[in-house]
Amino acid sequence: MTAVRDAPPATPPRLHRVRARWAWGLGAVAVVVWSLAGAGLFTGDVVNPAGRAQFGRFAGSALSPALDPAFLQVLASSALITVAYAVLGAALAVLLGALGAVLVARTTWGRRRLGWTLARGALAVPRGLHEAVWGLLLVNVLGLDPWVGVLAIGLPYGAVTAKVFADLLDEVPRGSHDALLAAGSGRVAAVLYGLLPPASGGLLSYACYRLECAVRSAVVLGLIGAGGLGYQLSLSFSSLRWEQVWSCVYALAALCALADVGGRAVRRRLAAPRTPGDRLARDRGLTAAVLTTLALVAWSWWYLAISPATLFAERTREQLAYVLGAAWPPDTDGVLLSSIAALAVDTVQMSVIAIAVATVGAVALAGLAAHPAGHAGPGRRLTGTAVRVALLLLRAVPPPVWALVVLFVLLPGVLPGAVALGVYTWGVLGRLAAEATEELDPRPRAALAALGAGPAAGWLYGVLPRATGPVLAFALYRWEVAIRDSVLVGLLGAGGLGALLAAGWARSTGPR
Amino acid sequence: MVGPSGAGKSTLLGLVNGAVTPTAGSVQVLGTDPAPLRGRALRRLRARVGTVHQHLELVGQLRVVHNVNAGRLGSWPAGRAAWSLVRPQGLPEVLAALTRVDLADRVFERTDRLSGGQRQRVAVARLLVQRPDLVLADEPASALDPALADRVLGLLAELAAEQGGALVASLHDPALALRHCTRVVGLVAGRVVLDAPTSALTAGDLATFYGAPR
Repeated sequence: MTAVRDAPPATPPRLHRVRARWAWGLGAVAVVVWSLAGAGLFTGDVVNPAGRAQFGRFAGSALSPALDPAFLQVLASSALITVAYAVLGAALAVLLGALGAVLVARTTWGRRRLGWTLARGALAVPRGLHEAVWGLLLVNVLGLDPWVGVLAIGLPYGAVTAKVFADLLDEVPRGSHDALLAAGSGRVAAVLYGLLPPASGGLLSYACYRLECAVRSAVVLGLIGAGGLGYQLSLSFSSLRWEQVWSCVYALAALCALADVGGRAVRRRLAAPRTPGDRLARDRGLTAAVLTTLALVAWSWWYLAISPATLFAERTREQLAYVLGAAWPPDTDGVLLSSIAALAVDTVQMSVIAIAVATVGAVALAGLAAHPAGHAGPGRRLTGTAVRVALLLLRAVPPPVWALVVLFVLLPGVLPGAVALGVYTWGVLGRLAAEATEELDPRPRAALAALGAGPAAGWLYGVLPRATGPVLAFALYRWEVAIRDSVLVGLLGAGGLGALLAAGWARSTGPR
Repeated sequence: MVGPSGAGKSTLLGLVNGAVTPTAGSVQVLGTDPAPLRGRALRRLRARVGTVHQHLELVGQLRVVHNVNAGRLGSWPAGRAAWSLVRPQGLPEVLAALTRVDLADRVFERTDRLSGGQRQRVAVARLLVQRPDLVLADEPASALDPALADRVLGLLAELAAEQGGALVASLHDPALALRHCTRVVGLVAGRVVLDAPTSALTAGDLATFYGAPR
């Protein structure tokens, strides 16, 4: 036999498709189609022709928001209330999250899997309830007290934050941490020197993201009566004053943008602090950020007139015992259970359509919404800013308010709820997908550009394969959130803001 | 190109393939200054320059075939590039290129399952399907055993010769430079301190240049 090294193999290897991946993909498409069918897209009337004029008036007011001094004053004080709730809620969440993360991190438990699993399971309970549901429960315990808003944000957020913080700590490459342990340092010192510094960027970034979420949650709590921008929004909406609605929406968007921009600036400073290398000095910007945060928390405490005494009052203890006593055993009446089952199917279908809309939209816009890695032309930068602002507006409006807007053009049912939730989730997911894209190593794509690949091909080969994993993970996480939010859309669509619907259309019963 | 680390070898290669823009002066690549070029014209020039990057810059999540086909993204329309991710296009050329680097049996493997040396060869195969006029290689032999390093450098030089162009490589091993190159340029702190045909040099000359016995 002669040397055959350079001869091609007799039978080229076959391309084996990953069957499981195709099965998952087709299954997902099937579920979306099932949900659309359940929402009546293929069978019934879904468009509401009568509402088009009203929608036109609503959309037409976008460029002429209410700017009279009296209303602006109301708007400003509402915004302050929302900010105060959001800041205190987020601060409590980060505090609880930091403590909780120690309790549920792999690093703490090591090989003791049972304890770790139980700790994780315990965290799932506060996470499973929506902030609005927490709000309603807490009103029963504490009465009308500012603590309700703060705890309704802080408790569920704290549980989520604890889980995410723990995951971030566990995902840091452990080489330097283990090396410290091997060199004889204690466990706490090893975490301080080997785990916290590499994780700090992620931890801080998530804390800032939670603050932005807290602003939105504070608005939703406002819708159910906690005051602030959400309350103002619902008032303006139910009195059909679209200019005022738009003013509220812009104020909300500005608050979200402020939280976003502030967080981004702090993260950038933390990644590359402006400190001299030859002597010990703190970065002024970071010091100012820390002091501002502390001042904001103190101001919020004062502005909401929060008193710790409420938490320990006798009445609180009695009410807590009553609510906890009613929580078990649950009602097992047959009729109730079957109606719950039917509504659960509706909820799932609503959330599936929502997440499908959001994922498709987010993937389509992620490339444009991401800050370009290198230098970019003015056209590209302008488009990027426009897309980011559009996404911000989409997520600044809470889903129940979106539902009311969608009800102008769609008949009540699962579909308007799904579209409302989808549009809102699109705004959130679009931002997350853009950030995932930005965090990818830019070099493989740069290498493709260097060999002459166009923007589309560079994106397909250099970005898409690497971004699919993180974006899918975000989409699944947001699906979980969407399921919880779809309960909220039903809660508010049928209840709190139902007066408007009754006035508007005889057929309306509100989205379920 | 030889020189201690930090001498500017990678920067020089980046200037040629357009990854680095000059802060002063201008660069002529294949007779053209890329600075004023935009869009299609720039892409056409870049497709004629092929680079083996120091850190390879392959996409680990893609199969080997797609990473090799990426060498043709400069000439493929976007639609064909997209369809190829579903049904790999131009398989015979990919297989021929992979056969030349002894990797034909791994064509449908995910790239991040390959070893460092195998990935290096995938990067070379990408160049083989790109067929550039000018071949740039940044430390192409860093992850390879001596025999393979010889083979890869031979292939790159052969590839450049097929298209009538040149191979510009930065190397850490003076012996490799002497065996495969016709001209050696030494850089220190961004300046050319040595420029001679290989025939005028000995391994000893280069060893003193690196400042350490090899």
